[in-house]
Amino acid sequence: MKKHLFKYMLMLLSLMSYHSMAQQKRTVDFIGGARSVLSNNNIVVSDSLPDTTTIKRNSGGYALIDLGVDIKPNKNTEILGIFRIRNAYGGFWGAGVTFDVRQLFLKGVISDKVRYQVGDLNLKQTPFTLYNHHADRLDSLPSVFKLQNDILNYEKFYRDNTWRQQGVNVDFGFEFAKGIKELNFTGYLTRLNATDFSSIPERLMGGTTIQLIQSKNLALSYNGFSVFDVKGTVLDSNTYTNNVNSIGLKYLYELNKNTIVFNGEAGRSNVQYAEDFDKSYLADYFINASATFNWLKKNLSFTAGYLNVGPDFRSIGAQSKEIDYSSLTGYYNRYTNDQIIRPISLMDLIVGDSLYATSVSAKLNIANPIYNNAMPYGLATFNRLGAYLKLDYHNEKGIQLNAQHFYLNEIRGQGTLKLKQFQVTKLTAQFEMDKLFHFQKRMNIQIGLMNEITNRNSDVAVEKVDLKTMRYQLGAEYELFKKIDVLAGGMFLNCKGNEFIPQRNVYSTVSFFEEANYNMTQKIIAVGARCRFDEKIHLTALYQVSEYNDKLIASPKYSINQFALIYNMTF
Amino acid sequence: MKKLFTLLMIVSVIVSCRKDDSSFDGNNIQEMYSDFMVLSTFKVDKDSIDFANGEKAVFSAQFNKPVSWKISIKGQTSKAEKIITGQTKFIDATNATWNGSTTVFPMFKAENCIAQLTIDGVADTFQVQTKVKSLKVNQGLVIADFENGFSPSWTKFVQTGANMDFNIKNDTLCPQGAKYLRMAGTVNWDYLIGLIDYPATAYGTTKTLNLSANPNDVYFNCLIYGESASNPSIVLFQFKEDENADGSINGNSDDQYDYQINVNWIGWKLVTIKYADLVTLVNGQPSTPKGNSQHNPDKIGKISMLHLADPSQGFAACKIDYIMFTSAPLEP
Repeated sequence: MKKHLFKYMLMLLSLMSYHSMAQQKRTVDFIGGARSVLSNNNIVVSDSLPDTTTIKRNSGGYALIDLGVDIKPNKNTEILGIFRIRNAYGGFWGAGVTFDVRQLFLKGVISDKVRYQVGDLNLKQTPFTLYNHHADRLDSLPSVFKLQNDILNYEKFYRDNTWRQQGVNVDFGFEFAKGIKELNFTGYLTRLNATDFSSIPERLMGGTTIQLIQSKNLALSYNGFSVFDVKGTVLDSNTYTNNVNSIGLKYLYELNKNTIVFNGEAGRSNVQYAEDFDKSYLADYFINASATFNWLKKNLSFTAGYLNVGPDFRSIGAQSKEIDYSSLTGYYNRYTNDQIIRPISLMDLIVGDSLYATSVSAKLNIANPIYNNAMPYGLATFNRLGAYLKLDYHNEKGIQLNAQHFYLNEIRGQGTLKLKQFQVTKLTAQFEMDKLFHFQKRMNIQIGLMNEITNRNSDVAVEKVDLKTMRYQLGAEYELFKKIDVLAGGMFLNCKGNEFIPQRNVYSTVSFFEEANYNMTQKIIAVGARCRFDEKIHLTALYQVSEYNDKLIASPKYSINQFALIYNMTF
Repeated sequence: MKKLFTLLMIVSVIVSCRKDDSSFDGNNIQEMYSDFMVLSTFKVDKDSIDFANGEKAVFSAQFNKPVSWKISIKGQTSKAEKIITGQTKFIDATNATWNGSTTVFPMFKAENCIAQLTIDGVADTFQVQTKVKSLKVNQGLVIADFENGFSPSWTKFVQTGANMDFNIKNDTLCPQGAKYLRMAGTVNWDYLIGLIDYPATAYGTTKTLNLSANPNDVYFNCLIYGESASNPSIVLFQFKEDENADGSINGNSDDQYDYQINVNWIGWKLVTIKYADLVTLVNGQPSTPKGNSQHNPDKIGKISMLHLADPSQGFAACKIDYIMFTSAPLEP
């Protein structure tokens, strides 16, 4: 019986292949990925009394498969659906098994002119309209942390600086013979939240970009972004609106064999609740202008910029923080005998997917001064005025260097007329030692550093702010045997000083300040071994120790030791 | 080069165009740290409050600077407590209105109350007296408050373990009314200690509960008392829908949604969940519903309440009261 079944299946497959060949334009591809994570964690709490309440050990894991079907029924249409089957370890006969639709879109071209996509969209415009800044992250993560962070990025659909939305996107363009080279239009409309016909209104987000490319040297653009509640979807007529309009300029100036690129964007925003106009209306403008000198022969670029973002500038597309520090961590979210909330550590920033958002939100997530006090909403951080410098170098021998320095001031005081000054210095470097020294085996070293200083000088002692944070990281990977790498890395953070944390009301204006004092160190050290079956499949075993030490004992010291086995593949 | 110069000029003009801001955001920090003074004394607007008829009590006070304040209203007989907090220069109807609800259980009775105001960084406390004339009325469908004992329409099953207790109690621990249910025992061979089924027919309907069809408008609430953290009770509510309203619940074709509460606290606590947020659980793990996979609160045919505990950990006990559906989170 089995023999016959096998024969019939072979015949069926042959027929299907013939059918595919006969209609070469119609294709069906299977794509996707699979992952298995098994982890064992242990928390050690150093409290004045031994913590006998918290369950110290935690183990678990899951296996999942994302199976996608990419259908191209004709040359102008593509349909992609990715389904997820996830099973928690310990699940049995369907318990713990979930089936989800992870991604679904349809895209195509109408009359070879208008491109469209409906369903899931990855959207971004400019850093002041719609943009996921990943503001609290430090680039060039050591590989041993990056592979854990990549899982988070995949789960939350963080690609470049896009936000995942559901809706429709259309773009089209015109080419001209003279005067103007190209005129391109992009527009999208997505649904931020669905109404419950009771208290939650239907909230939509839309945007437009019109780009005029005059020549290879000059381009102008208009960007419009809007979030609005649809009237009538709930009885409450207190509808929310946030509009941002900006114009952009890009001018390329050729200087001998090098180039200078001038980039600029300026715009205005307004936000309001219709019924609470007096309390909620905020409007302001921003300017961001920079000049980048590209020394092409030396692979070096140098940027000098000016930033001016008004204190009442609000753009939820650009100011939605991906991380919500008021959320609870996925595990060990409470500790000590009093079961207080465990403060968020560097480890949670790398792997804590329960803290991260998947969509833009009208709620202004609070900043955490430990991780980012100067620019918690990236370039779109309101109430900032100043300048910045950037240096970027890379060569074919495998050296990548990036340095940034921001010098910013507040525009409007916070609880006082005195203004704060911020200085942020970031350095990241990556050295591919195998290329540099012609080693046979792969060897990479990653270095990163971020230093942030916040100051507010005043004759009145209570108004003074002095906060210093230093975050640094070092990582290495070495191919010990063919396709077997050892990985190691460490991240360290010191934070000392004081700051006033603003409590914001529903209209995002400050209602109260709470003083916070810091004197803490954090570190996370990890070692691991990775077996690369090929570029898309790897099995990694890693062990990491994360320590959080608050010297002011606002939160007792703790450390979390974790062993994890991660199998990851894409196909 | 001329173009470059023009561009730089334009940028310079734009850069210099912002006006100096002569105001600041939020409260004055210098004022925050100045000496504290009371400008208007702490008061309550009613000596006696008729909550049942919609009356509310408004507290008031005024200070010279914004402060973090806390009003604690305590029932002199019940020991119930309502806590209201704020961070302002004033206390008034916008931030200190009491509708008769409770923060720390038991719930208030018709009794004398003392409201105490404490302020962060201020040693003095301020007190006023008031009286609850009648209790706040909570609108909704009460599934069980045990005031009238066990309904003959309910079905109870209790294992034959050691120290078993599945009885209605009438003592000072009661959070609402005069009675509550205690569920306790040692069952060393099974997670299940006991259960009660609440069929829809026990609530004046023929097949399903009389609730809104919109799962976002239906909240399930109950008060649970954890007795011990050493072997925490698990209270599992199973909401069994009768989707085709044939009067019987089919486990293979009707949806069942579950709410598993790990009672890892000591004392009374209100637990609330929106019906739309319930998931189907199998052995405590999320699973796929067997019916139309849509939350239909208006099609609930039966609710089962199970008291579970780890059999290897011995005796487990908890108390429960005031199981009810409301159209918004219960504020008892």
